[in-house]
Amino acid sequence: MQPSNGTGEVNLKVNLGNVEFKNPILVASGTFGYGSEAAKFTDISNLGGIVTKSVSWKPRPGNYPRRIVETPSGMLNSIGLANVGVHVFVDEKLPYLAEFDTKIIANIAASSQEEYCNVLEHIESHATPNLAGYEINVSCPNVKDGGLSFGTNVDMVHELTSALRPLTKRLLIVKLTPNVTSVAPFAQACEAAGADAISLINTVVGMSVDVFTHKPRLATVTGGLSGPAIRPIAVAQCYNARKNSKIPIIGIGGITSAMDAMEFFIVGASLVQLGTINFVDPDAGTKVINDLQELMKQKGVHSVDQLTNTLVIEERMKALGW
Amino acid sequence: MTTHRLASRSTLAPVTERRQIAPGLVVLRFLHPHIASTVEPGQFVNVLPKVGFTAPLLRRPFSVYWIEGEECEIIIQDHGLGTSILANTQVGEHLDVLGPLGSPWRYKSDDFDTAVLVVGGVGVAAMPLLTKHFLKNEVPFSTYYGARNDTLFADEYLAKVRYATDDGSKGYHGTNISLLRDELEKGSHPRIKLFACGPTKMMQAAIALADEFNVPCEVSLETEMACGVGICQGCPVETSVTENVTSGKKFYLVCTQGPSFLKEQIVI
Ligand SMILES: Cc1cc2nc3c(=O)[nH]c(=O)nc-3n(C[C@H](O)[C@H](O)[C@H](O)COP(=O)(O)O)c2cc1C
Ligand code: FES
Repeated sequence: MQPSNGTGEVNLKVNLGNVEFKNPILVASGTFGYGSEAAKFTDISNLGGIVTKSVSWKPRPGNYPRRIVETPSGMLNSIGLANVGVHVFVDEKLPYLAEFDTKIIANIAASSQEEYCNVLEHIESHATPNLAGYEINVSCPNVKDGGLSFGTNVDMVHELTSALRPLTKRLLIVKLTPNVTSVAPFAQACEAAGADAISLINTVVGMSVDVFTHKPRLATVTGGLSGPAIRPIAVAQCYNARKNSKIPIIGIGGITSAMDAMEFFIVGASLVQLGTINFVDPDAGTKVINDLQELMKQKGVHSVDQLTNTLVIEERMKALGW
Repeated sequence: MTTHRLASRSTLAPVTERRQIAPGLVVLRFLHPHIASTVEPGQFVNVLPKVGFTAPLLRRPFSVYWIEGEECEIIIQDHGLGTSILANTQVGEHLDVLGPLGSPWRYKSDDFDTAVLVVGGVGVAAMPLLTKHFLKNEVPFSTYYGARNDTLFADEYLAKVRYATDDGSKGYHGTNISLLRDELEKGSHPRIKLFACGPTKMMQAAIALADEFNVPCEVSLETEMACGVGICQGCPVETSVTENVTSGKKFYLVCTQGPSFLKEQIVI
């Protein structure tokens, strides 16, 4: 069954900045490759958008194995930003993705401000019609250089966002990490620096140990936790960002169903991204889109806007400061 | 509930038979016309532990052990929550199956006249379809099957088997690799090729043996996988080759570029 993409009683369209997404269900960076592998298993044109695997200036081979450990309701990964590099990305991946009726968001990872700018400018000068914008990954826990060292420093996030903003008129989205005391100042810094949206969360630092060998299960010792296990953390962080800033939010973390996505809309997200669930079912996005439409119908909700930021808190709890 | 939706999407497949073939080893047979009609020796399927649930979260990869008509079999070693749930699936229940996945053995290549199947432990799952092909096409072959003791063999679909056990309870007393070495030392073996699947140590020994006798060797690897279809980059094997490597210059992905590799391609 094809999702109806906005016809009928329920309209799934969502606007972010000057971009219209046909529905609010995107797939998260690193969990959908560059689209071609997943295209064998799902119709990727159904998706509201695809956030591509982080690209850096040069290709990166990624970390030594082992890179994956399953944990309760989730998984730890330490891929280490394995990617094809920005040149192959613009020569092969973007043109391939241009064939599909969905929005593309290019996720960028780098180890210096200069590299972030160079990668963005290179993509910008090779932009395809459905390239909607950029997601800046300042939150990868699995590389030695860059990654989290940017994302856990408010000043650096502000400076980087300010440096990138003039380089594009397309969407500029900053992807935040949950590995901070409070995400609020980061949301405010991105808003102040002119980002169009923040996306959160990236993975949560985690670790697993083999008790027979006393060795860490991941080669890099720690890794990033994802999947349903982190959903409550993600919902809380989106809620915190919404309470403390006005910048649009793209919710990420453990979404496996339309119900899960709904939680993020209610606490303030305008769109969501599906991550780990794509590994279990590359067709998950289409199913969630169809189910979301049904669920909205049942609730008598006509648009995603009517869902976003509709959390109801009891008056007596509000009075107590909640 | 439909049993066959779209060829390339995950499919709910009814289990038609369950049998225990050795301690801790269960075979599940399920109806899956698409896989049964398209799978090649060495390919695998990715199976969800519990239909409709996200805990345990990830699919588990299994070699396609056997096909007959529209049915397929996988062999499950019970070693954890996910595999234990799967091993206890009953006839009439369903499996959520994605496949066939991965690249087949290079079993039609012309770099050999005689195949030597080197098998250890649950590595046996990758061998029956290969055996079937060699029998059907009258390709000469022999099988060197090693296990700790004689209760652990799952040889129902194998042929021309030489057994080796660590405790001497069946066949040769020692490893299948030493048994094979004895054979190779006995005489000339023109144009043989080893097809090895089993514990890493066994495959390393098979590669060393192939190097020593200067014969081709292909190994089928087992790694952790999250997606099984080439999107997560979670299943790398280090490579010495620099061409056609997707994840940068250093690794192959076991799920799509493997699971079988020529010994020259990889470092294990
Ligand atoms: C295997 C794997 C690789 C990932 N790679 C990236 C990446 O390259 N860039 C990025 O910004 N996020 C990456 N992520 C994080 C996801 O995009 C997402 O933020 C996170 O997994 C939480 O969502 P989930 O619980 O739905 O998976 C990766 C996650 C996983 C599991
Ligand atoms: S298991 Fe995901 S890329 Fe191989």
